[in-house]
Amino acid sequence: MEQLAQIAFGVYTLIILCGSVLAVSAKSLVRAMVGLIATLLGVAGMYMLLNSTFLALMQILIYVGAVSVLIFFAIMLTRADAGGEEAASAPLRQNVLALLAVTVVGGVLSWLILTRPVVSSGVPVEVSIEKLGLGLLGPYGLAFELISVVLLVSMAGAVLLAWERRIGK
Amino acid sequence: MPAELIHILIDLVAVAASVGLIALVMVWVERKVAGHVQRRPGPYEVGPNGLLQPLCDALKLIGKQLFMPDHADPILYWLAPVLVFLPVLLLYMPLPVGEGLVPLDINLGLLLILAFAGLTVLALLLAGWASNNKYGLLGAARAVAQSVAYEIPLLLSVLAVAFVAGSLNLDTVVKEQGTWPWNWNIMTQPLAFLIYMVSALGETNRAPFDLPEGESELTAGFHVEYSGMGFGMFFLAEYANMVVVCSVATALFLGGWQGPVLPGPVWFLLKVSLLMLFMVLIRWTYPRVRFDQLLNINWKWLMPLAVANLLLTAFFVKLAQYTFVK
Repeated sequence: MEQLAQIAFGVYTLIILCGSVLAVSAKSLVRAMVGLIATLLGVAGMYMLLNSTFLALMQILIYVGAVSVLIFFAIMLTRADAGGEEAASAPLRQNVLALLAVTVVGGVLSWLILTRPVVSSGVPVEVSIEKLGLGLLGPYGLAFELISVVLLVSMAGAVLLAWERRIGK
Repeated sequence: MPAELIHILIDLVAVAASVGLIALVMVWVERKVAGHVQRRPGPYEVGPNGLLQPLCDALKLIGKQLFMPDHADPILYWLAPVLVFLPVLLLYMPLPVGEGLVPLDINLGLLLILAFAGLTVLALLLAGWASNNKYGLLGAARAVAQSVAYEIPLLLSVLAVAFVAGSLNLDTVVKEQGTWPWNWNIMTQPLAFLIYMVSALGETNRAPFDLPEGESELTAGFHVEYSGMGFGMFFLAEYANMVVVCSVATALFLGGWQGPVLPGPVWFLLKVSLLMLFMVLIRWTYPRVRFDQLLNINWKWLMPLAVANLLLTAFFVKLAQYTFVK
């Protein structure tokens, strides 16, 4: 079984890597979207390997089933085609900044992993939904409420944006 | 090879075979019902009462040439029909057909079905967009607005039953219900059942909510450019999804395989077929709604009702807990 888990880990990593490369490099926005979806599915697989089925299924339900469909809708409304202005390559300054961001984040992460390797890799315990729910409403109540504040802010932001445009017209 | 893997493989093959068989039977039933509703006999020539007609149709579909329109996105265009059918195989796994007859017994079976059913919308979108056709694109745009909207009351009505049963495992939900019809969840949750069935029609793109296809205005909507088995896959997936939706309704509201006298699997199949027949009858009885009507039904009726139902259910479940504990 352990060998199977290792194979699965390799497959998921490959899906995540290929998907993310496709997501940032594809000329067509919809293909980039498909790359993003592949990455999200790969991450769901990783959750599965960590023995948290609930999280994996929620990842698929929310991110693949709802969020990416909404992004897709936005793409369709803007009618961005492959030859549009977004398809032109980014200016040099942006590329340099992107490279900087990647090396800093990647550098810190890989330094952490190399200097402090994970001691054990035992099978994680499966946490039941009851425990998860009690935890979210009990000891982690503040974090849970803060997430809803983030959602509220984004909703208010969307309303504000739509409002300004209507006044402009 | 571990035994579990072989177990899953056998289940997959069985599911794939039954999906094919069910689709063949359903095509026949649908055409017969349509015929009799419109006072004509329906398919009649091939086999007894036209029973072999769908088989001939399937052979014809397989034999046809596969086309792709100019300037279509080749990868996404062929990815869509595969993507629409793949999750279907997974959706059948957590369904309890009889006592101890569950292909994949996991605690979160209901959630698994809901999560992977969302992939179907994505496939419709990809099909509509990649076809490089205005009708396809319009169909895809409608599919999104519709399925995103109807998913919410569907989830809320399912949650109400999950609250009562205290589990997301379909097998447990079935076992909580009794043998006789008055022990089934439909007696305590009639509103949730109604909301579930209406949103299920919306989610499976069945008439009167078949606006993404809407042949009178969009020719065939998202699958207008697909020929042969490309179209066949969407067709198969539609019937397969109908079976899943009806099976989940049976397990949640109609007591699943529970029933007097007859063995479990027979009851399960009987209830599922009755629900399917109901869906077919609705298709040939009601005219297609307008798009604003479709969204109004959802946002102004189903959604508030589902939320109210969920709140009431939660209140009563809590009340029952306190009174029974003390």
